[in-house]
Amino acid sequence: MAKDKKNEAANSSTEGENQIELRETAGLSQGQLIRRKFFRHKPAVASLIALIFIGIFVFSASGIHLGTEKAPITVQGWWKYTITDIPDSTFCKDSVGCPTWSHPFGQDPIGRDYFALVMRGAEQSIMVMLVVGLIGGILGTIIGAVSGYFRGWVDAILMRFTDFIITIPSIIIGAVIGFKFGNLGVVALAIYLGLFSWTGLARLVRGEFLSLREREFVDAARVAGASHTRIIFKHILPNAMGVIIVSVTLMLAGAILLETALSYIGFGVQAPDVSLGSLISDYQDSFTVSPWLFYWPGVLIIGIALCVNFIGDGLRDAFDPRQRRQISRKELLKATFRTPTNDSKSK
Amino acid sequence: MLAYIARRIGIVLLILFGSSYIVYNLEAFSGDPLAELRTSSAKNRDFLIAQMTRELHLDVPPPIRYFDWLRGVLGVLTGHADLGKTRDGLLVVNEISAAIPVTIRLVLGATILAIVLGITVGVITAIRQYSRLDYTMTFISFLMFSLPIFWVAVLLKQYMAIEFNNFLGSGQITVPWMIGAAILIGISVAGIISGSRRRVWFIFGGAFVSTVILLWLVNVTDWLLKPGLGIVGVGLLTAGISVGIAAIVVGMENRRVVLASLTVAIATVALYFPINALWSAKHLSFLALIAPMLLLVVLAIVAAVAFTKVDRGSAIRTTVITSVFASLLLLIDRMMNTWSGYIHSDGIDLRPIPTYGTVSVRLSSDNFWINLMDGFVHVLLPTIALTLISFAGYVRYSRGSLLEVMNMDYIRTARAKGLSERVVIVRHALRNAMIPLTTLMAFDFAGVIGGAIITESVFGWHGMGTLFRSAISSQDLNLLMGVFAITSFMAVMANLVADLLYSALDPRIRVSK
Amino acid sequence: MQAKRTLRSVAILAAGLLATSTATGLVASSANAAAKSTVIINETTAMTSLNSGTPDTNLVTNSDIGYLTSAGFWYYDNKPNLVRNTKFGTFKIAKNVKNDFEVTYTVNKGQVWSDGVAITGVDLLLSHILNSSAYSKKAGLGDPSGDTAPAFTSGGYGGVYDNHIKSVSLSKDKMSVTLKYDSFQPDWQISGPGPSPVHALELLADGKTALPTPAAGAAATAKFLSDFNAGLKGPNARLAKIGAIWSTGYNIQDINASTNPLLLVSNGGFIVQSAIKNTSVTLVRNPKYTSGPALSKTNPLNKVIFSFVTDGAPAAQALGNGEIDVYDGQPDTATYQQLKQLGGVTVETGTTMTYEHVDLRVGNSALQTDANAADYNGPFADSHGQKARDLRKAFLLALPRQSIVNKEVSQAYDPNNQADATVMNSNFLLPGQTGYKSVVAGSGVSVYTAGTQAERTAAALKLVQKWYPSAADGSNTVAINMLFKNNARRIGENLLIAAEEAKAGFKVSTVGNAAWSSKLDDPNYDVAMFAWAPQVVSQTGNNANYQSDGGNNHYGWNDSALDTVLHSLEAPLTDAQITAKYLAADKIIMAKAWTLPLYQWPSVAAYSSSLKNVKPSPLIPNMVWNYWEWHF
Repeated sequence: MAKDKKNEAANSSTEGENQIELRETAGLSQGQLIRRKFFRHKPAVASLIALIFIGIFVFSASGIHLGTEKAPITVQGWWKYTITDIPDSTFCKDSVGCPTWSHPFGQDPIGRDYFALVMRGAEQSIMVMLVVGLIGGILGTIIGAVSGYFRGWVDAILMRFTDFIITIPSIIIGAVIGFKFGNLGVVALAIYLGLFSWTGLARLVRGEFLSLREREFVDAARVAGASHTRIIFKHILPNAMGVIIVSVTLMLAGAILLETALSYIGFGVQAPDVSLGSLISDYQDSFTVSPWLFYWPGVLIIGIALCVNFIGDGLRDAFDPRQRRQISRKELLKATFRTPTNDSKSK
Repeated sequence: MLAYIARRIGIVLLILFGSSYIVYNLEAFSGDPLAELRTSSAKNRDFLIAQMTRELHLDVPPPIRYFDWLRGVLGVLTGHADLGKTRDGLLVVNEISAAIPVTIRLVLGATILAIVLGITVGVITAIRQYSRLDYTMTFISFLMFSLPIFWVAVLLKQYMAIEFNNFLGSGQITVPWMIGAAILIGISVAGIISGSRRRVWFIFGGAFVSTVILLWLVNVTDWLLKPGLGIVGVGLLTAGISVGIAAIVVGMENRRVVLASLTVAIATVALYFPINALWSAKHLSFLALIAPMLLLVVLAIVAAVAFTKVDRGSAIRTTVITSVFASLLLLIDRMMNTWSGYIHSDGIDLRPIPTYGTVSVRLSSDNFWINLMDGFVHVLLPTIALTLISFAGYVRYSRGSLLEVMNMDYIRTARAKGLSERVVIVRHALRNAMIPLTTLMAFDFAGVIGGAIITESVFGWHGMGTLFRSAISSQDLNLLMGVFAITSFMAVMANLVADLLYSALDPRIRVSK
Repeated sequence: MQAKRTLRSVAILAAGLLATSTATGLVASSANAAAKSTVIINETTAMTSLNSGTPDTNLVTNSDIGYLTSAGFWYYDNKPNLVRNTKFGTFKIAKNVKNDFEVTYTVNKGQVWSDGVAITGVDLLLSHILNSSAYSKKAGLGDPSGDTAPAFTSGGYGGVYDNHIKSVSLSKDKMSVTLKYDSFQPDWQISGPGPSPVHALELLADGKTALPTPAAGAAATAKFLSDFNAGLKGPNARLAKIGAIWSTGYNIQDINASTNPLLLVSNGGFIVQSAIKNTSVTLVRNPKYTSGPALSKTNPLNKVIFSFVTDGAPAAQALGNGEIDVYDGQPDTATYQQLKQLGGVTVETGTTMTYEHVDLRVGNSALQTDANAADYNGPFADSHGQKARDLRKAFLLALPRQSIVNKEVSQAYDPNNQADATVMNSNFLLPGQTGYKSVVAGSGVSVYTAGTQAERTAAALKLVQKWYPSAADGSNTVAINMLFKNNARRIGENLLIAAEEAKAGFKVSTVGNAAWSSKLDDPNYDVAMFAWAPQVVSQTGNNANYQSDGGNNHYGWNDSALDTVLHSLEAPLTDAQITAKYLAADKIIMAKAWTLPLYQWPSVAAYSSSLKNVKPSPLIPNMVWNYWEWHF
């Protein structure tokens, strides 16, 4: 008997899936739907938790540092060393500054505590990531959306402005800022990176809008008398969310790497402040001798970027209105057993 | 249309004028070109400063000096572009024309590889959404995307060059390595293929055992020192590929096309020895290199025409793709046979994988294959590094794009018509899913010329990226502007091309008038 | 199903492998048993020219290649001492009276250029054209300090030679050249002429593209002499043409069989054979080489390849991978350890002539060109009298020089040989140079070395408290703006300094500046920290740093007694006299508390252990100075 049931369940699986979905989505707002879908995406939820943990850990350990060198705004963290403390170096067999109990990540060649450096580096990198993502994401979406929706001269002007920004290498702006104004702190750096990083997103969003605005549901909304703002934000944007989220999460992870690259060339976060990127680039050649100097920042960069990408993946799936979630065999069986009426109907 | 393009190009020139003026002045004010001389202790320092000032016209304020530079650039209209001199007295034009081929060699291959691999993986993961394969590839691609390139470069050099070369001294894989590799391969194969727990274990075991056997064979035959596929290897692989391609493009039920494709494989085997003899000539001409490949392509077309009567287009497509793969296999086999000679040649001495540079400075050989191999091993590590970090974007975008398309009404219609899943994906979904990717590709190809600043410098390639970096760090204004002029021109042109492609591929989008 | 497929493909692959191994059979291995004779040297910049004599092409790589391809009257060894190259020729003071100082340079007979043309005194005359503005103007080659570039865009104008040469004359046998200066020149040895293949220049000017016969070459040499003499009298178009070739004709980066062989004529142990732009330059032995020390008898080098790796870290990995044999660099703290870990590599540490120092501003820079710049009125300004002197002394007392050496420098040396990792205590002599010890003993620098750092810092705090009674350990009363480059080492030094100075009541800024060199005259900075990098050994080499009108005096240092002492160095002096004058000068500088040296920069050289006799040297051409001794 039980065996027969199983077979039946398999036969009616498609219908079962629809049933589950319909029942689950009944009476929920779009926001609730998205949230539910997102929380079903296990890697995304795990990443979100991990990222929040990393964030809290890093910021509480290192404290909060804003402002410029001349006018710093600082909240101390719980870790006993700061990045400008120079405790005595620990000597080990072949190297100096290897990890010990009091310096869990080791010490850099002049004795600075590497845990403090890595925490500050991670703090700066996360800051860069968030600011760049925020500025780049908003600018890119709005410019792309307006340009793709209105077309014509608005599009022409905005896209030529985009071209203009694309041609200016952000490194040169970094060099000018570094030379003329000295160290303005990490926020200023992140803002200017953000101001130059929206171009790709804008073009993608514009492409989406160009194609979506021709669709029937937009026509329907227009006929129904919806305003431009309403059509853009309520009708088209949710449909373009997939592309935007994929692009913004790649941009977020890319921002960390961009800052890393800038540090490598010498235009990133300015010493004595550090970022994860400047740490790796400073100690890239010491990985055979003092591998801890090389691996820790790299592992953190990878960890943060991975989390961001998985969260983006989960969000993308959640925002996709047509996307159907995967329904596991277990759920399907459960559903089948719980709804015998459906079974009988299907016969 | 033409009027539109002309107008766009006109605007592009205006944009370039504006941005170059801004960049020129920003850069001129962002540093001191005389910095090095100021702290020099040379007795004739003031004299040298005066000389540099004279040579670079530093006494002219930058906003005006720009027009001097612009006049030189506009010389391109009369065929005599003058981009000025670098700080070291070299002509910027020469520096750039020397750097461009280097950069293209480095970045083009990696870009193509990233696009092909990325889209393939993206499509497969989209088709098998939420499978174990999907999760595995998603994880791997995100991981790759998160890697800082110079971090990867250092590791690649250490383990794929230095350690590999050390290992090649013996050429024998030790037992712990064998087991380690087998476990790794077992896990990844089992991770890719989904199924019940028992089946996963079975697959893991199979992959483990076959890896061990394979590595043991490699040891026994000294394959790492003397690799090669041989006629049998080439034959079997070509046959497999020909069937596989036929299955994807037209489907296995189309027997005639499968036969035509197999014919190409048989022709490849038949031509194996003649082609190798031709390729072993002392002075290999380019024609002699290409001729066998062209012959195979011609044979492929003939076979397709001979075997099929209807739908010849897709038959020809199948056999031609097969013949291209067959040519590649022949080439790979020939390269494998070169390996032994290469690693033993003077100046290589069993340390074939280099960590930097474009050519081996000690190698002196006039053998075409040896030099080809030399170029290949030098481009190997930087290409791996670049591909690793840039393919993730393609995986994500193509996966997302295909998933979106697969939910479209016309796909449902196609399925409802009873078309096979293969036809639905290959003929209906894929093409539409690729449209949004054209923008990305246009930009990436435009970026090829700009080089890869960090990759080039860690691998010691003297391309555009290195020029750009050294121009910025040494305040070399003319050099910087030379690089800028070319890269920014490519970027705005890519934009234009992307726009045109977009409207050509998607009939619903009109070029804005 | 899929498992089966996997297994099947594995089986197919395996079968293919077996087939291959039987089909291809054994490939004869051509392992080369011949002894190694090629050495690959890493350079951080690419070669831009075969002529390193113009300001544009005066790069380390170009001059290293020039060193291997030419031999002159002298070279520096690794001490660094000036060694006379008697194989090439001799030179001596012919006359030394007031207002007439003559030096005669004689080329040994029987030497030839690599094309077989004899080397004579005429080959030395080009030096005069390259160094004398007067000659350039007279011969119609342009005014080197004018608005347009002269025909010979030489980097030699404007120096000692240019300012003091009166005439140059060739002996009757054409093997000797006598230079006549207007007064004694302390650095007369290094301002002398070097040989140039003038016959090749003449032939190039004729548009020739093949090497000459010895007779034709000698005729071309004679032609040059007549051109030179014509130039002494008036404008000479022929020389202008030669000048254009000398200035730009050698700027080639790709060298192969189609290169004009006249460009490669040289008299050093090696001649350039080929070059690939931005990649490498290959030199082979010059079979006609007799102009310098003979090459090693056992397994000498047959080929030298300069390979260009622009980054330091990749070079170390390339060395580990056997792609280069010699690595010469400016080490950071980890480099020594890293290189040491590579197998089959010998690592040697040493010092360079470059030294790090901290300078305190006392007034406006005499070099300040910005008329609107504010007057310097910072804590160290001389206008504050005793207060500034006390604060300067306090600042220097609290400089943690020993801990900078321990943390920033010592790890760059062999842990078992830390002799070179030491604080430098003289502004004129490097540790180990003749007279260093006696200068240090008497100059008064002992104030800054006596006791422990804690004691010195405590003394500094007392001095500060004299003027700022509320100053205390860590309360940072006196703000100091410090100028330094934002690289890893300087940042580390700055942090160490800021931490220690804080204990003496100073608050030192901790942000480096990428554009530091253009801010040296900026009165906003109270302190500057950077390095002097002398390129030659010269008894007056430091004068420009401390003279009140010195070209490197950016801080308003001004003391007439010091000026007198420094001026008196410009005379023929014995070593003891020089030491005494250095001592006198150092005494004044220490008493004024203007500046303190920190340490000599370390150098590290790593090379394949099979290569013998490599001896790093502190001056350019660094490692290759004794290439003739190298062997495998």
